[in-house]
Amino acid sequence: MRRFSVIRIRSLEHLFDLAEKGMTNPYFLAGGTDLLIKIKDDLLIPPFTVLDISGLQELRSIHFEQDYVRIGSLVTHGEIEKHPELRLLFPSLTDACHGVGSPQIRNRATIGGNIGNASPAADSIPPLYVYGAELHLVNSKGERWVKIEDFFTGPGKTIRNPVEIIKEIRIPAEKRDYGTYLRLGQRKALAISKISLALAGKKKNGSMEDVKIALGAVGPTVIMAVETSLYLRGKELSSEVIKEAGNIIEKEAEPITDLRSSKEYRKKMCSTLLVKALTNWKQVA
Amino acid sequence: MSDLINLNFTVNGEKKHIKLDPSMTLLEILRNILKLTGTKEGCGKGECGSCTVLLNGKAVNACLVIASQLEEAEIITIEGLGKGEEIHPIQKAFIEEGAVQCGFCIPGMIMSAKALLDENPHPSEEEIKWGISGNLCRCTGYSKIVSAIEKAAKER
Ligand SMILES: Cc1cc2nc3c(=O)[nH]c(=O)nc-3n(C[C@H](O)[C@H](O)[C@H](O)COP(=O)(O)OP(=O)(O)OC[C@H]3O[C@@H](n4cnc5c(N)ncnc54)[C@H](O)[C@@H]3O)c2cc1C
Ligand code: FES
Ligand code: FES
Repeated sequence: MRRFSVIRIRSLEHLFDLAEKGMTNPYFLAGGTDLLIKIKDDLLIPPFTVLDISGLQELRSIHFEQDYVRIGSLVTHGEIEKHPELRLLFPSLTDACHGVGSPQIRNRATIGGNIGNASPAADSIPPLYVYGAELHLVNSKGERWVKIEDFFTGPGKTIRNPVEIIKEIRIPAEKRDYGTYLRLGQRKALAISKISLALAGKKKNGSMEDVKIALGAVGPTVIMAVETSLYLRGKELSSEVIKEAGNIIEKEAEPITDLRSSKEYRKKMCSTLLVKALTNWKQVA
Repeated sequence: MSDLINLNFTVNGEKKHIKLDPSMTLLEILRNILKLTGTKEGCGKGECGSCTVLLNGKAVNACLVIASQLEEAEIITIEGLGKGEEIHPIQKAFIEEGAVQCGFCIPGMIMSAKALLDENPHPSEEEIKWGISGNLCRCTGYSKIVSAIEKAAKER
């Protein structure tokens, strides 16, 4: 591989000092499973500086608090996937992380990197939408909290400044009745999602109360299926309702055609995945 | 480019102190500097698993780790599995089951199997398949590889 300049970041203060001095085209390196591929494929134009943040221990932990679960940005998909408490609270997220890449990739690839890379097909992002996650962004000038749906502006594009680090992701610690993540790819392992659906929902007195649905890989960013959610509110999980929800999401989703699939295929599959998710919910309920 | 860094890490139980470029991949360090050529390079992009080694006990693609990420790391490669002349039980099971054809994928495959069995000593067939889902083999069709891992698990 080509050689490039790398600075090993020792602490957030170290990062902020460097940022104040100014750097040419800085890129964070967490697990490196996206960034190193880009460098190998000559997609980053030199000169650039790689800031290796992988040694920042303070970004590696998961905290359970009264109101929030806080996940450090360097926590890997493998750690999330296997975490029993996270599985109970956020099954859509743990399902999604379980399917990322391969065991080797999941051992390195971080949730912060998945968000930072901002692919509309990134698996952890649709679940973070349905669970209402927020990102803690920090730089030498200050900090801010941003809702996940306000973070992305297009494929690979976000509102983040180059030296602003995603420190952690916090998710309201709210227990739902059901959560799932379904994805379609060329095969089970090592395939980018052609389309994916995250769903989390609550029930009250037998009817659905609050159902959130997010779709991955259908447009420039992940989208929420708002109309479909509105339709489901207050309804019972019957076969008719499930079928109708499938029709609504097919109309609601405005997918793109690209190398991996056509628009028509994606529309149909949005419906198929939703019907499958709701049917699974009906069966466990 | 970057200044060289002093890297302290352990490979197959041996402490190493080397000065090198922080952007060098672990795969390049193993093969070109330490001359441990058991770890193979296939795709160079995380897709094939032929470069799989253990980093702090976990299976990783050595082509996607760089030197700057390795301070104090413990690496085990295929060369570190056996004890002296004696090969590891997983290696033995691969030979006995006839799970090796051209052999190119096998070091990586065995390192993934080792990581799997360390974490889950008695995996189901499904769990074995999932455990080696990051390793491609062009020759065997996988079924003998799965049997070899089952055999190694039984004989532990
Ligand atoms: C073979 C292979 C298979 C893959 N399969 C999947 C898959 O199935 N599903 C999927 O979603 N992805 C997949 N990926 C992509 C990748 O593994 C994930 O996106 C991963 O989560 C990236 O995390 P990382 O830590 O490796 O990121 P890095 O490569 O280190 O960083 C990615 C980007 O995010 C930025 N970044 C990283 N951390 C931060 C931070 N804390 N704050 C701000 N910016 C940050 C970096 O600057 C960089 O631009 C795959 C990749 C490979 C090579
Ligand atoms: S060479 Fe590393 S995964 Fe293929
Ligand atoms: S034995 Fe030839 S690639 Fe696996």
